[in-house]
Amino acid sequence: MIGYAQALLRNMLGEQATFRPGQWEAIEAIALKKQRVLVVQRTGWGKSLVYFLATKLLREGGSGPTLLISPLLSLMRNQIEMAKKIGIRALTINSANRQEWDLAESALTLNQCDILLISPERLSNERFLKSILPEVAGRVGLFVVDEAHCISDWGHDFRPDYRRIVRILQLLPRGVPILGTTATANNRVVADIQVQLGPELIVLRGPLARESLRLQNIQMANQSERMAWLVENLPKFRGSGIIYCLTVADTERVTGWLKQKGFQVEAYHAGDNTKIDRPALEEAFLHNEIQILVATVALGMGFDKPDISFVIHFQRPGSVIAYYQQIGRAGRAVERAYGILLSGVEDDEIQNYFIESAFPSQQAFQEILGALESHEALSFEEILAHVNVARTVAEKTLKMLEVDGAIGTTFDGKTLFFRTPNPWQPDSERIDRVLALRRAELSQMQAYVDHTGCLMEFLLRALDDPDPRPCGRCANCLGKEMNRSVAHELTVEAENFLKGISIDIKPRKRWPVGLFPELKRVIPSEVQNCPGRSLCYYGDAGWGKLVRNGKYVDGRFSDELVEAAARLIYNAWKPDPFPEWVTAIPSRRHPLLVNDFAEHLVAQLGIPFLTVIERTGEAAEQKTMQNSTMQARNVIGTLAIKVDIPATPVLLVDDIIDSGWTLTMAGYLLRTHGSGVVYPFTLAQATGRNVSS
Amino acid sequence: MSISSDSLVILLLCSRLGLPADPDPAPLNLREWNLLARSLQAASLWPGDLLNLDLKDVIAQVDIAVEEAARLSRLIERSGAIAIEMERLESLGVHAITRADNIYPQRYRQKLKDSAPAVLFYAGNVELLGQPGIAVVGSRHLDQVGQECAAFIGNVCAWSGLVLYSGGAKGVDTISMDAALEERGTAVGILADNLEKAIRAPATRAALSRGDLCLVTPYAPGAGFSVGAAMGRNKLIYSLSDFAIVVASNVEKGGTWAGATEALKAGWLPVFILDHPDMPEGNRILLQMGGLAFPYPFPEKFSKLPEWLRIQSTSIQPKPTQLGLF
Repeated sequence: MIGYAQALLRNMLGEQATFRPGQWEAIEAIALKKQRVLVVQRTGWGKSLVYFLATKLLREGGSGPTLLISPLLSLMRNQIEMAKKIGIRALTINSANRQEWDLAESALTLNQCDILLISPERLSNERFLKSILPEVAGRVGLFVVDEAHCISDWGHDFRPDYRRIVRILQLLPRGVPILGTTATANNRVVADIQVQLGPELIVLRGPLARESLRLQNIQMANQSERMAWLVENLPKFRGSGIIYCLTVADTERVTGWLKQKGFQVEAYHAGDNTKIDRPALEEAFLHNEIQILVATVALGMGFDKPDISFVIHFQRPGSVIAYYQQIGRAGRAVERAYGILLSGVEDDEIQNYFIESAFPSQQAFQEILGALESHEALSFEEILAHVNVARTVAEKTLKMLEVDGAIGTTFDGKTLFFRTPNPWQPDSERIDRVLALRRAELSQMQAYVDHTGCLMEFLLRALDDPDPRPCGRCANCLGKEMNRSVAHELTVEAENFLKGISIDIKPRKRWPVGLFPELKRVIPSEVQNCPGRSLCYYGDAGWGKLVRNGKYVDGRFSDELVEAAARLIYNAWKPDPFPEWVTAIPSRRHPLLVNDFAEHLVAQLGIPFLTVIERTGEAAEQKTMQNSTMQARNVIGTLAIKVDIPATPVLLVDDIIDSGWTLTMAGYLLRTHGSGVVYPFTLAQATGRNVSS
Repeated sequence: MSISSDSLVILLLCSRLGLPADPDPAPLNLREWNLLARSLQAASLWPGDLLNLDLKDVIAQVDIAVEEAARLSRLIERSGAIAIEMERLESLGVHAITRADNIYPQRYRQKLKDSAPAVLFYAGNVELLGQPGIAVVGSRHLDQVGQECAAFIGNVCAWSGLVLYSGGAKGVDTISMDAALEERGTAVGILADNLEKAIRAPATRAALSRGDLCLVTPYAPGAGFSVGAAMGRNKLIYSLSDFAIVVASNVEKGGTWAGATEALKAGWLPVFILDHPDMPEGNRILLQMGGLAFPYPFPEKFSKLPEWLRIQSTSIQPKPTQLGLF
């Protein structure tokens, strides 16, 4: 049998191909002995080869198709192409390719599919369960679980759907082979997976070290210094690379800066309100049409470009495992690759935010359950109208409740959520355990940053590599390293760049659900705001610090900010038709703050300032409102216009934009009272929401 | 959640979970399963053993046709879909029991023998199944007296600690079940359709979580209504309770008539028929066929009802019974 398998391997990879250590053992255990196997091997080792060949052998023995569950389907195109060479027919079903589901269904009916690739969410999708899965008549010949470390709470990557996968695997009788694959699992994770999948699980584990990687750590407090470092040092790297940032805003800023300095870069993230075509970017990057991607973790596990020659972290990741995975994208098929970790003052703040927002609050769970308990079923938007929970938190809460069996979903034109009769208690012990683990991972990562010995060895020990030893290639082993300092002028330039960015304010186009039951949800275009601008992100290294000082320390915004705002409006933004007057949102707690700023601003702009908007009632601080419906409801009825206003274009000024509902509502009032077009302008945008992905 | 290998095999062979509408091969019907169960017993095998035997072993050890053995092995191969579907159902609060499980209602084994369903799906408090109680049956449309009588029996069940058994359909079933649950009594509903949907109604869900209610069906939990299914579950209501009270029946048509005549003939339990001046024609004839008269308004104190039912039914001798096999 091994001879036949080798022939298949050569068909796939060419005449020279041979099995790597462990590959045939895995295939044999799965396909011939129908056993359960966990493969822990570094990315690029050839895990996909194992399940494609095992599928081939199983199918020829009359088994049903393989079901592969992976969160990273979009990245498997290359592997699928490879599998075609030995006649493996693969089909993918995910939320992005609904138009192909019919095709998949009929292929399964005709037994023309050998491996079905699904994302974990499909397992709770009614259409998948009711019409696609039955077409296999349930004859799943092999279960493959990709990124199997997600099975364990001790894994670094929290994915609620994997708890569901484990329960499914536990219901499978012996004799149905299972293959779990992961590139990163330390001993504790492996042991936990073994507990959950049964003691007969065979673990095949290989060395994790990457011979080509050269590591170095550099600590630089300010973003502007790190931005300058990039400009000075990027030209020293050959080939293509990735720069990882922790937040969407950082990827945008770094990309903007590097573009201005003439680098061929693009930002890659899954942030809201962006028009990023991720598959197109991946494609362009794979074909070296883009030299550098500046990415969040959205450029995730499994992204396979063999010739990446450097991975630079602009900020420090949250764990050694995450870091190892991200640098593991470099140096797969190049002899020399670099992993440079920059870290700065903001890292801890961002990481703590991630940890604190990792789990929804008790209040979020209770409010959502309460809403569902008093109804037969509710849509997502209807739930939001009942609870004071942020949209993204609500999504996460619902997912966790669904996996816990506290709620179910059904589809009736739209997805409906309902409470199940299952009892539900918050698993606070588990939550505390996971949070403690995250904090421990964070301090281990800091220890890595400070480590003076071999850096690769540190990583391998942390990952329980079977044979860790000094690499002889990292900066600490060689005593030879890249510059740790940068030219002062370039740092100043970077700081000025940060001050020069402005951020768009996108006008709201729809009222939230349930807000005005009597009105249509669409805000008519003649009473919408025009696109607006903000000077900075609140608290950032450019103007953000000054805004924070102005608001909470000095009690007034500085002349520097006034001049920066005027420059932005006059020189960069240049709204057309240009506003003929200025008005401001009266601030609740600091009644003079925004007016004072607006008065100084009009002096620079040379147009009049008119106070026409009044506060008519007390509202809670907008930042305590957690979702659109609640935010908009909080604004309604607290703003009014009681005087005649000019019918000409107006600049509408506020200090910080959070949800955007205050500006939307004020703009709506201005338009309905006869003003010309409304341009919103704020000093800063709040960054608390959607900081990640 | 865990499922014994015997139960898993029964689910694989007999349930429609995770199968298309017109499956090939079709799952075993009850008659086919009973035959197989006997053959397995004769070969000293348990259902779970089928998981470990390959096709030729089955043919060698079990008295079974070759093509039938091939069908079994195809059905057993679908464990992947059953695992996915069972996980989903469990997370919705729907569980499966089979004739191989200890918690499978003993009364079904005793009274229905070979017609005891191989698989049941339920939500709620499974321990209620087979507890002392009264079944209330009747058509969806009923007069004022019928409605009051249904509510009265529901209330009395609650006050006397008896389980109210019904079909969970509109009309008599819902009235009597609501009457029991509103008084913090317990109830069992044996559904002919869509268990998954039935458990979503807020009041039902609350009773299920309190442990006051169990909803059961022998059909796939997402299945729609069919007349045959409604007929088929009647015996599951009668055979689980101590007494049945037929509130309103048509003559020679409808599920109530079919179920009541079946129960009278089988002698699973004493069957009472609501007896009042304006009763439906069906009630009159069922009384002639041996149904015991149940007067309404009830002539005694409500607390006497259980005792009264027992005394009235001493004339009926339960038939001797013998346990069936998995």
